[in-house]
Amino acid sequence: MIPWAEKYRPKKLNEVVGNFEAKKKILDFIKDFSRQRKKAVMLHGPAGSGKTSIAYTLALGFNYEIIEMNASDFRTKQQIHEVIGQALKQQSLFSKGKLILVDEVDGITGTRDRGGLRELIRLISETTFPIILVANDAWQSKLRPLRSKTQFIELKTIDKEILFSLLKKIAKKEKIKISDDALECISSTVKGDARAAITDLQVLSSAHKEITKKNALDLCYREKDENIFNSLRRIFKSKGGVLKAFDNVQNINNNDLFLWIDENLPLEYQGKELVKAYDALSKADVFRGRIRRWQHWRFLVYINAFLTEGISNSKEKSKQDYTSYKPPSRILKIWIANQKQAKRKEIAEKLAKIIHTSKKRAYKELPFLEITFQNNIPITNL
Amino acid sequence: MLRHKIYKNFSSFLKMAKVKGQKEESMIWTEKYRPREFSEVLGHPEIVKRAKAFVQNQNMPHLLFSGPAGSGKTTLALIVAKKFFGPSWNENFLELNASDERGIDVVRRKVKSFARTKAFSGPFKIIFLDESDALTKEAQQALRRTMEIFTGTCRFILSCNISSKIIDPIQSRCSVFRFKLLDKKDTAKIIERIAKQEKFKINNKAIESLCDVSHGDLRRVINILQASASITKNIDENTIYEIIAEAKPADIKSILELALRGSFLDARNKLLDVMLKQGLSGLDIIKAVQREIWNLNIKEEEKLKLVEKCGETEFRLVEGSDDFIQLESLLASFILAKK
Repeated sequence: MIPWAEKYRPKKLNEVVGNFEAKKKILDFIKDFSRQRKKAVMLHGPAGSGKTSIAYTLALGFNYEIIEMNASDFRTKQQIHEVIGQALKQQSLFSKGKLILVDEVDGITGTRDRGGLRELIRLISETTFPIILVANDAWQSKLRPLRSKTQFIELKTIDKEILFSLLKKIAKKEKIKISDDALECISSTVKGDARAAITDLQVLSSAHKEITKKNALDLCYREKDENIFNSLRRIFKSKGGVLKAFDNVQNINNNDLFLWIDENLPLEYQGKELVKAYDALSKADVFRGRIRRWQHWRFLVYINAFLTEGISNSKEKSKQDYTSYKPPSRILKIWIANQKQAKRKEIAEKLAKIIHTSKKRAYKELPFLEITFQNNIPITNL
Repeated sequence: MLRHKIYKNFSSFLKMAKVKGQKEESMIWTEKYRPREFSEVLGHPEIVKRAKAFVQNQNMPHLLFSGPAGSGKTTLALIVAKKFFGPSWNENFLELNASDERGIDVVRRKVKSFARTKAFSGPFKIIFLDESDALTKEAQQALRRTMEIFTGTCRFILSCNISSKIIDPIQSRCSVFRFKLLDKKDTAKIIERIAKQEKFKINNKAIESLCDVSHGDLRRVINILQASASITKNIDENTIYEIIAEAKPADIKSILELALRGSFLDARNKLLDVMLKQGLSGLDIIKAVQREIWNLNIKEEEKLKLVEKCGETEFRLVEGSDDFIQLESLLASFILAKK
């Protein structure tokens, strides 16, 4: 089975959804390439926004041969020279010209791919063919030397309305029965990632004949939760070596992380271990308070250390048995309690004036007075 | 549903005053039986004597009333004001509660604008700042100059639980009155006085336990008494415990005992419950825990260790961001305490 994300990869530039401005910019760049001062463009933006697709559709549209290097290739100075440098020297046999695509530029690492970036920069200044660089995060400091030689074009996440109509088209072609609200659900939960949207649609269609909103919701949440469950399992079960346990957890912010750990910690640890683990959690929280107070975000490092290694190392030895984890319940409880107590606070405020005291104190006395109120309702009001 | 019922009960309770042709205040016994004369104030003969002298001389310094909750600070301040100004006391007396309005703005706006103008009758106005230990340091600094500038038109009565939370410059501008909790004898007198007026019976054991559960806080005593009397006209110690159980489903001690027995999950769930139901802050809980540690059935040296942990937790609570996590960390250390 071909992944639909490949099957429906755009063939023409105007089939790439969204980012109209960026598409026009890069089209102009290729058209007027001979007059460009900067001989390369850097397409950067979040995953699934269409960076690679744009490069490929351009090559197809202009009938250029595409020379691609991506993160799966070694990209040392020598390698880059061999692949790209050679390509630049020769004219293409069958096509009008060539297009050099260096995918995942931000993945060129300092040690493994020694000298790779410098060679790339040298090639940009002498190229006769357009070079397209692609990166998720173009603002890394190691990419700084590229800025003077390269035109930066930013791609944004795709609007959910656009994703919706894209999915609708695909669903029609694949003859899938899916409700509009299910499509909407997919389009809004993928956060502007077209590839993820198409993949989700395929996964759902292979599991269900008719896709409802509930199916779609299940998929989104299951994926999200599985991530955090796995991380928790690593921290709670193994001893040490878990510093990166939360690195891949997406959609969950730091505060939620505290709640997840807090909720499940007592399910896993007992006695001495529990005391130690809570001490680590408490220390992490202290650093969270310090970040809030001083806006010194580097403290995040310590939070992470205490949440991962700190909690993991609180145990004597690693654990084997299965524990099922629960999503945090505290926030919900607080919310329900607040709803219930809004009126009580109102009463406490009125009461405070009558009995010459603070609202806080009146609130504390309220439970006793409540009994008095209850048993003294005048008969006319019953 | 539930909320609505409470609200309805409350307002219809206050409406009863109208039916009887009385003020709303008279419905609540803490107000109805609040002393109106110096002679009715029990437990502080020296303080009362001096306060009486101020009224007779028609002059007084700034005052600082310091003492635990329910010991009579507000009562005395109200009597002083009423005696100074007579029927127009309301116009010359400003009551502010610092724990509700604790910022510097209150001092700058409300206090200053009231202090600026001359009194309608009597030599000066009185500003009563209740729970002034809740005022921020900045607000206290602002207050300090205000107290001096407006001495011509205005006197301050500050009340606080802990006088060390009041900055020195303010303390030195005030005559400090230290209130103590009423002893059992005086409390019993008051209870019997109310029983006679409200026509209910209460036995000695009930009075004893009432004093115990309220730790000498007279406001609490009277509120429990009124709740008890709303159930029965024959109050014994069981009535008192019933009321306590209904008003406070779980106390800190039972939570700590759960933790001591090793059922941490139950303990923490109950803790969250209590905090939410009674609207308690992390600091409230720490205070209560620290008090209860001494009453627990564990080895003496363990108690000291736990109190130390309490202190560390309080520090982290101030530094950290999630009170509940810090409290759980404290609660966890009770598991290891040896009996």
